[in-house]
This record gives sequence, C-alpha cells and structure tokens, in this order.
Amino acid sequence: MKIIACYSNKGGVGKTATSVNLAYAYARAGSTVLLCDLDPQGASGFYFRVKPSKKLTDARFFEDVARFTKSIRASDFEGLDVLPANLTFRDFDVFLSRMRNKRSRLKKALVTAGSDYDVIILDCPPNFSTLSENIFKAADQILVPVIPTTLSERTLEQLVSFFEKQKLPKKKIKAFFSMVQRRKTLHLETMEKMRKAYKKRFLNSEIPFAADIERMGQNRAPVSIYAGRSAASAAYQALFDELENGVVSTK
Amino acid sequence: MGQTSSFFIIPGKFDPAGLSDALRGLTPVFEAPTAARPFDLLDCHDQSLRAQGQLLIASGGTLRLLRGQGDVAVQRCKGKGTFVQDMPDGPVRSALVGFPKLRALMSIGSGKVETANFAVLDDLQKTQVRGSVLSLTANDGQVALVTVHPMRGYDRSYQSVCSTFESMADGNGGIEAVFHSLFSDATPYNAKPEVKLGMQEPSIEVAADIIRTFLVVARQNEAGVIADIDTEFLHDYRVSLRRVRSVLSLFKGVFSPEQTDVLKREFSDLMAPTGRVRDLDVYLLEKDIYFNLIPANLHQGVEAMFAQFAKERTRALAGLSRRFRSAAYDQKMNDLFALFADTKGLEPGPKADRGAYDYACALIWKRYRKVCKLARGITPDTPDQVVHDLRIDCKKLRYLMEFFAPLFDKSDFKKLIKPLKKLQDNLGLFNDYSVQQEALFEFVATQSNSQGQANAQLAMSVGGLIAVLDQRQKAERDRVIANFQHFDSPDIQHLFRTLFHHKED
Ligand SMILES: Nc1ncnc2c1ncn2[C@@H]1O[C@H](COP(=O)(O)OP(=O)(O)OP(=O)(O)O)[C@@H](O)[C@H]1O
Ligand SMILES: [Mg+2]
Repeated sequence: MKIIACYSNKGGVGKTATSVNLAYAYARAGSTVLLCDLDPQGASGFYFRVKPSKKLTDARFFEDVARFTKSIRASDFEGLDVLPANLTFRDFDVFLSRMRNKRSRLKKALVTAGSDYDVIILDCPPNFSTLSENIFKAADQILVPVIPTTLSERTLEQLVSFFEKQKLPKKKIKAFFSMVQRRKTLHLETMEKMRKAYKKRFLNSEIPFAADIERMGQNRAPVSIYAGRSAASAAYQALFDELENGVVSTK
Repeated sequence: MGQTSSFFIIPGKFDPAGLSDALRGLTPVFEAPTAARPFDLLDCHDQSLRAQGQLLIASGGTLRLLRGQGDVAVQRCKGKGTFVQDMPDGPVRSALVGFPKLRALMSIGSGKVETANFAVLDDLQKTQVRGSVLSLTANDGQVALVTVHPMRGYDRSYQSVCSTFESMADGNGGIEAVFHSLFSDATPYNAKPEVKLGMQEPSIEVAADIIRTFLVVARQNEAGVIADIDTEFLHDYRVSLRRVRSVLSLFKGVFSPEQTDVLKREFSDLMAPTGRVRDLDVYLLEKDIYFNLIPANLHQGVEAMFAQFAKERTRALAGLSRRFRSAAYDQKMNDLFALFADTKGLEPGPKADRGAYDYACALIWKRYRKVCKLARGITPDTPDQVVHDLRIDCKKLRYLMEFFAPLFDKSDFKKLIKPLKKLQDNLGLFNDYSVQQEALFEFVATQSNSQGQANAQLAMSVGGLIAVLDQRQKAERDRVIANFQHFDSPDIQHLFRTLFHHKED
C-alpha cells in the first residue's frame, strides 16, 4: 500500500483537482484506490457526487472500525472508493498510523471487507493547521502543486526548509507546476528559475491552466470522463505515468 | 461484509417500469439491450445441475452459472459437449467440482438472450446500485434473470432494489421457474425411475410395468449415443435392457415358457450390437489408469494399443448409430413397447396372477439363500468360477430388491443394500480385472503373426499390465470373504428373514 498526499499550504492551487484526476488514473490502471477527502468543504467528494458524511470528528470514530468502514463510498468507477469523512487533524493522525499498521483492527477490517487498497490518496485542505509532520512521515509521496508565480515560490521554500530542519526525507516531495499558462512570460520565467533552484524536487509533468479542468465543477467527474481527448486529460495521465512508472512524457 | 450480488428470477416479460415505480428518490436507468443472441441451457442428461438448483447458460462463448442465493460465476469457455474436468481453469469450472466426471455438458434447451445493464441513480446522478437483466426467450415463453450488484456504502439502496425485484419474482420457485417458463417439457431424465406397484398387483402386471418403464429409459438414451455426447448414454441403455432381461429370467412362470424364450432372444438381439462399443468405451475411459499401472518405459506399447481401440470404437459406434437410426430398429422398439403397454398381448404363465408382495418375498428369499449358500462355501482354495457365480447371484438379488423396493420399508432396504453393495463393488472389481486380462490377451493375439509372435514393445507393455491386473484381481478376491461376512451379520440375516420369510404362510 502506498500513501500519496496532495499537499500545499496555499489554497486554490489544484490539490483537489489533482487528487480526483490522479485517483481516477490509478483506478483505471487497475489499482484499488481510496481517495480520502480531508477537506471540510468536501470538495473531492463533490466531484464524485458522493454526499458528505455526517460529522465524524470524534477520535473514537476510529476505534469503532465498523463505523469507519461503513462511511467509505464506492465511486461510479471500478476500483475507486471515496472516504468523504470530514476529519480533524487529530483524527487524521490516528487514521494514518492505523493504516500503516498491518495489525491494527482498522487495517484488518478493511482487508476482510475486500478493501486492502493499493493506493490511498489524501486530498488535504489548505489550512491544514500547522505543517503536519505526521503526513510527511506517513505519506510515501507528497505531491505539491505549484502555480508558477512569485507567491508560490515562498510556499515551496518553506516546505523544503521545514523538511531540512526536521531531517525529513526531502525526496518524498514531488512538486509540479499547476495551472500553467505558457503564454505568460512570467510563468515561463518562474518555472525556469524554480526548476534550477529545486533541481530534484520537480516532476517534469505540468498541468496546464485549462477550461476543461474548470468544468469539473459542472460535470462532477474526472476530466478524462467528459473530455477524454483533451490536453488536460493527457496532462493528468502524464503526471500519473511519471509518478508511478518514472516515465517522462517527451511531448 | 456481504459484498456479493443477488439474483432474481422473474417469469414473463420484464418491465423496467416496474422498478422505476417502486423506488422512491432513486431512478433506474437501463442501457439499450444488446442484440438478441442464441443461448443454450446446459446440463448433463440427468440434469444434475438443475437438481441442485443451478443454472448454466452458454451464450457467445461465455458460460454463466447461477446458483441459489444470487451467486453468479462467469467464465469464457464454450461448454457445450465438454466435460467439466476438461474445461480451462476458471470460476465456473471451480464451481462445478461435484459434476459427474463421466457426463458431458449438453444443451437441455435453447433460445435467444438479450442483456441490458442498468444503474440506479440518486438525485446527484450518482450510481448507488448496478445490475443487469438477462432476458431469455424460448418457444414456451420468457423469463428475466436479474443480477443486482451492491456498491460500497449504499446498502440501503441495494436493499430496496433487491426487495423490489423480490416482490416481482413473487416467490416463484427459483430455478425451476426458468424451466417452467422456457422449457416446460424438459423433464429430467431418470435412469432408475421408481415403478409404482400394488401389494396385490398380479405378477404379470408387475413385470409389464417394469419392462415398459425400462424400455422408455433405454429409448431416452438413443439420441445421446448417436450424437456421441458421453459414454453414459450407451451404458444406461444397456443397463435398462439388462433390467428387462433380468425380469424375463427372474420372474419365472409369469409368462408362458414359449413367450419367455422369444422375448429373451429379442432382448439379447437388442443388446448384442452394443457390447463391443461398451467394452471399448470402458478401455478408453481407463486409459489413464492403465498408464499409471506400468512404468513409463512401457508406455509406448500401450499407447499403440489405445490408438487401435480408439479407431475401432469410432467404427463400431458408427455401426451402432446407423442401427439406432434405422426404421427396422424403431419398429422393433415400438412393437415391444406396444406389447408391454398392457397385458393383452402377453401369454400368462402359471405364476402370472400371484400377488406382487408374496411373489417378491418368495423370489428375494430364494435368491438370498442361494447367495448365502454359495458365499459361505468360499475358501481361499475355491476356483475363481465360483466367485464369478456369486457375483451374478448378488446382482440378481440386487435387481429383485430394486424392482420390488416400493413394496417395502425404505430404511429397512437401505440397511440391506449397503453391505450388499459393498460386496458387489468388490466382486465387480474382481470381475473387471479378470475381463481386462482376457481382453489384453485377446488383443495381443489379434496383433500377432501366424507364428504367434507379437511386436516386442506391445508384448512387454501388455505383459506388464497383465501382471499388475492379476495381482489386483487376487487382492480383490482376498476381500470377498470379509465383505461377505459383513453382509452375513446376524442383524442382516434377521432382517432378511423378517422381511421376506413368513413361515406361517
Ligand atoms: N489546471 C487548472 N486549470 C484551470 N482551473 C483549475 C485548474 N486546477 C484547478 N482549477 C480550478 O481552480 C479552483 C481551485 O482548484 P482546486 O480546488 O483543485 O484547488 P485546491 O488546492 O484543492 O483548493 P483548496 O486549497 O481550496 O482546497 C477550482 O475551481 C478548480 O476548478
Ligand atoms: Mg481542495
């Protein structure tokens, strides 16, 4: 099992859009995926038309394994389930450590329910209290969308230096440029500069700023479902390929 | 957690509106059905799947097995004409593990099938339940097989969809409803139907009832022999005629001696052309066993022998099929059936009017005593021929008990038949090993030149086989005495006496 966190301290950078499309890409490639919607707004659940579950914020929720497994919802797509729970930071901590422990009752319950997920994708809210050390420890990969503007530079810088200070493995950080507008010189310049400054932190794939992605809100589905041939759909597929197989798109 | 699907059998034409109307807050959406394709309902001749409440549907190269509580297994595989153990690995094959090894899957009925998937959506157009409807149409009518798949987290919707279908199915007898709707006259074949007898029924009527019943059974196997579906058809055909012959020989004095002779000859004539095919079937079925009896370096000779057998069987079966299809044969069977339709054409013998129950007791008691007398005299030095005679007498005893079983208490009979069957199995193997050795000798003889010399490979292999078979035959023989003693226990003796020997008469 592998845990991928879509994380950024900055709001509106494309964490949810990435979580949703990446979860779908994994499922389509044959993995069993649990997308955890950690945003109190229930954004990724919204895109899968899954209604938010009732407030499930008390920590005892996780002791009650049955209640937890019951709140998982199947999406309309084979192999892709959504946990629309509305978790506090503390709950989430417990959740992560339970998921990591093969012998926890939670993990066992998931296995017997036929849900020994291959991939868990965490759609983190922007104000995820302070930097969550536990996410950084528990996740195998931390996927950070970066809009190529000066403001975003600082966010990434903070994250990387936090890792250095805490002696966390920096190679977990997988940044990628999000909402890229190649017509804007500022975007191109920022990208060039940042790629140089953070040589090993950036993935090659980038997600363009695309109307097809904005339309996710009306369609309430992953981009590939309603715009299968779009550049946006191809970009998410390339992001998946690079993340999963180290394949770098030559386009 | 129950993530398994459910399935429902809905007789008649399926109406999707019935589902829409019954669900509140949910909307079922049906895909356009696929173009109608042919399907076959598969089972073996005795419909053993049907007897277990299972339904196997073959269509477009896919097998679909439906069982009791909504359990559906699907596998790509052709199915028709194959034996389960020869199917490629897959969920349907695994689910069919208890299927008779000697029986091939055959079409019990056929028609057209359309498939339509459906999704049940909530107000956000989110799918909460999925399913599919297989609409089967045959000459006799229609039936819909609905499968409903739950989706995690949407148990309540699943329950309400299921209960809607449940009420549409209206408790209609499960899988039997499919047969009634589609193939109302596909009555299951029964190799040993129970013949209803009255206690006082005159023996001549009993004989006619039994013979008529088994003539019908024999005829039910002709088509399967001609189509060469599996070897059980010919086997059952022969067993049925053998039962008829045993009535003729065991029910002494029921028909006139002249008619008994004529009928015996007629039934021998019916049996005779089937013997060689059956022998070859048996050899070929035991092919693997033969190979396992001897070391690999002797396999070559046996391989050649089986190739010969296979060739000869094809030829012999072609001859037999031609006979079964001939007008003369059909006429013969119809005449016999007409003869036993009632007792008008039958010539009564001196025992013709004796009441069934009395007659049964007398025949069984007499045969039982004969078996005991013969068996009790068997020692390690008794010639093999006596053991063979014992086998024949046990068989006659068994036939008599089976014929008259409806007149006696079932559980009493079970108690008697169990040790008898064990003894018979033992004697049967003893006989098989001896027949097989003879057949091998004979085969080598036919393959030898005028000086009596045979190919060395063949001779070695067959020699090896005969040696092993002889050992096995001896081992079986050694078991006969113990098995008989078991049958000859005081309890069994007592039961035979109480049931069949009423001194006061
Ligand atoms: N590549 C893109 N091109 C165009 N619009 C995008 C793109 N990615 C995301 N958006 C839009 O931008 C908005 C914010 O995106 P998203 O919700 O994915 O960001 P987020 O980081 O999850 O936000 P938050 O921090 O509030 O959770 C949404 O309306 C989304 O449709
Ligand atoms: Mg978000």
